[in-house]
Amino acid sequence: MTVNNIWVITDDQNAVGELCDGGRQLGKQVSVILFSDQNRAQEAISSGADQVYLFGQAGESVMIEDYSKSIAELLRAEKADLVLVYSSIRGKLIAGRIATQLGISVLSNVSELTVDDGSIIVKHMVYGGAAIRTEKALTDTVVVTVGSGVFEAMPKDAARQGKVNEINPNVDNAGIRILETRPKQGELVNLSAAKRVVGVGRGFAAQEDLKMAEEFTALVGAEMACSRPIAEGEKWMSKERYVGVSGVVLKPDIYIALGISGQIQHMVGVNHAKTLVAINKDKNAPIFKQVDIGLVGDLYKVLPKIAEKIKAQN
Amino acid sequence: MRVITCCKAVPEAQDIVVTKDRQISIEKAEWKFGQYDLNAVEAGKQIVEAVGGQLSGLCAGGKILDNSKLRKDILSRGLDDLYVVMDEKMEQADTYQSAKVLEAAIQKMGDFDLVLCGAGSSDLYAQQVGNQLGELLGLPVVNAVNKITPEGDKIIVERTVENAIQVLEISLPAVFSVTSEINVPRIAGMKDIIAANKKSVSKFTLSEINADNLPNSSSEILSTMAPEQVDRRLNILEGESDEVIDAFVKLLSAELK
Ligand SMILES: Cc1cc2nc3c(=O)[nH]c(=O)nc-3n(C[C@H](O)[C@H](O)[C@H](O)COP(=O)(O)OP(=O)(O)OC[C@H]3O[C@@H](n4cnc5c(N)ncnc54)[C@H](O)[C@@H]3O)c2cc1C
Ligand SMILES: Nc1ncnc2c1ncn2[C@@H]1O[C@H](COP(=O)(O)O)[C@@H](O)[C@H]1O
Repeated sequence: MTVNNIWVITDDQNAVGELCDGGRQLGKQVSVILFSDQNRAQEAISSGADQVYLFGQAGESVMIEDYSKSIAELLRAEKADLVLVYSSIRGKLIAGRIATQLGISVLSNVSELTVDDGSIIVKHMVYGGAAIRTEKALTDTVVVTVGSGVFEAMPKDAARQGKVNEINPNVDNAGIRILETRPKQGELVNLSAAKRVVGVGRGFAAQEDLKMAEEFTALVGAEMACSRPIAEGEKWMSKERYVGVSGVVLKPDIYIALGISGQIQHMVGVNHAKTLVAINKDKNAPIFKQVDIGLVGDLYKVLPKIAEKIKAQN
Repeated sequence: MRVITCCKAVPEAQDIVVTKDRQISIEKAEWKFGQYDLNAVEAGKQIVEAVGGQLSGLCAGGKILDNSKLRKDILSRGLDDLYVVMDEKMEQADTYQSAKVLEAAIQKMGDFDLVLCGAGSSDLYAQQVGNQLGELLGLPVVNAVNKITPEGDKIIVERTVENAIQVLEISLPAVFSVTSEINVPRIAGMKDIIAANKKSVSKFTLSEINADNLPNSSSEILSTMAPEQVDRRLNILEGESDEVIDAFVKLLSAELK
């Protein structure tokens, strides 16, 4: 099998550049499915698309995921070899539904994608990051979900030519109606670019105690991050700030973990730090097996003292 | 209302041992039901507590599901009964194969109103089996469900997508994957653990649910290897005295220069 026809599906325009770049690296022809408008379609062409398939909005109460059957038919008719679906929430549902229509699995959250001797090879983490699995796809059409950071967007070229096809999709109405869409304040942080990061975990007993961590973070000129339970269970910090296998992967010079136990799912996100520091009151916490500098102590007692001493130095 | 919650037993990631040449061994690992499947069990429990009904658990896997401690653990978290599909093939099942087997089991389990899955299995975290199962059953299917409110023969859910919250009206039966923040799973008490002994467990083989013809695997596993390890200095101080703090600050400051 040769990999010719690459398809990109995304509900987020920001992902178009990276996925098109991936498509150009892996195959010959790149077709992009969008759910937006002509302007965005033109932008996709300058980002590397040869064809854009524009799925119109069938109505405010209709989910774009309900176009899945139409999309699967299109992929089948056009003999798609590889389908790169952006791994947003909607993207994942679309990927699952179209893969099912095609009678295959989804290769999820891949961190690397290559073509070797005509076969598509993917890598992705398993067991919470304890291992990396390499798999060879065996199906005629391969559906993968890809997040940002796997490919690098090429510079846009306004002179690029491509074709826009408007599709009036069949809505495969599966009994779901959108009653309301409430915009949610997302936070714009780029933790993956931060040089110094302080991570907070469940060692903090109450939200107001995070003040202490905020002050420390400012003092050392860092960005603040957290473990998943702080963002999801407690909702004390935004989800853009949790680090790990299912969150952000950091590459800082230094990561300072406060009250974080060091479960593998979290550590996968900080293992690339040049220096790892941890404060934890339990000397048997797994994090102490993988730090450069550690302090066994109650953060409520030691953190204020540490802050004071650093301030005195400055 | 009959709710079916799908749960997968997985080896604890923390117990995985790296042997030589970055090979891994799960031999010594304890098996547990996925952390995020407990949110699905809790979500199901809250629904049947609110509107009445029955909560069934469904799991497919290998021989490990014969372990009665494991089964009792999931039963003690609020299930009324448990359905187990056991076959060696399930140990390496991909998302489509898993969804196919769960679909076949659900056909066998009789009438239902709602199927719940977790945010992702703790070993593969593909976040796909729920989506694929819903599509196979030909039912309304939604992921990232963050709130569930039954309303007669319909259900209202809140779904968190990246930059918005969608409020959806969905006809039943339906298949949802819930988020890990939808609730905090309750901890089983002594009473629940004792009650779990008396709950019914139904065991099936693949042929008993007419699923022995699994679809082909969509991929071939070439390798599963531990990530490259970084050597750390392991300079660990202990204590809260001024001397210890001074020493720690000195080490830290050197890094912050
Ligand atoms: C599929 C899957 C994906 C996951 N993905 C992620 C992910 O991407 N990121 C992530 O972070 N987690 C993830 N998790 C969750 C992960 O397994 C852990 O549950 C989580 O990282 C633990 O967070 P924590 O360290 O803050 O809390 P805990 O494990 O509860 O640790 C709290 C620590 O604080 C210490 N402590 C308590 N009080 C004090 C004090 N006063 N002073 C000092 N120390 C104190 C304790 O000794 C303990 O070590 C995932 C789990 C699964 C199953
Ligand atoms: N073998 C299985 N048995 C029961 N439920 C499963 C199984 N595999 C996956 N699931 C369910 O599907 C969800 C998503 O799994 P995954 O797509 O592997 O991340 C899990 O959280 C479970 O609720």
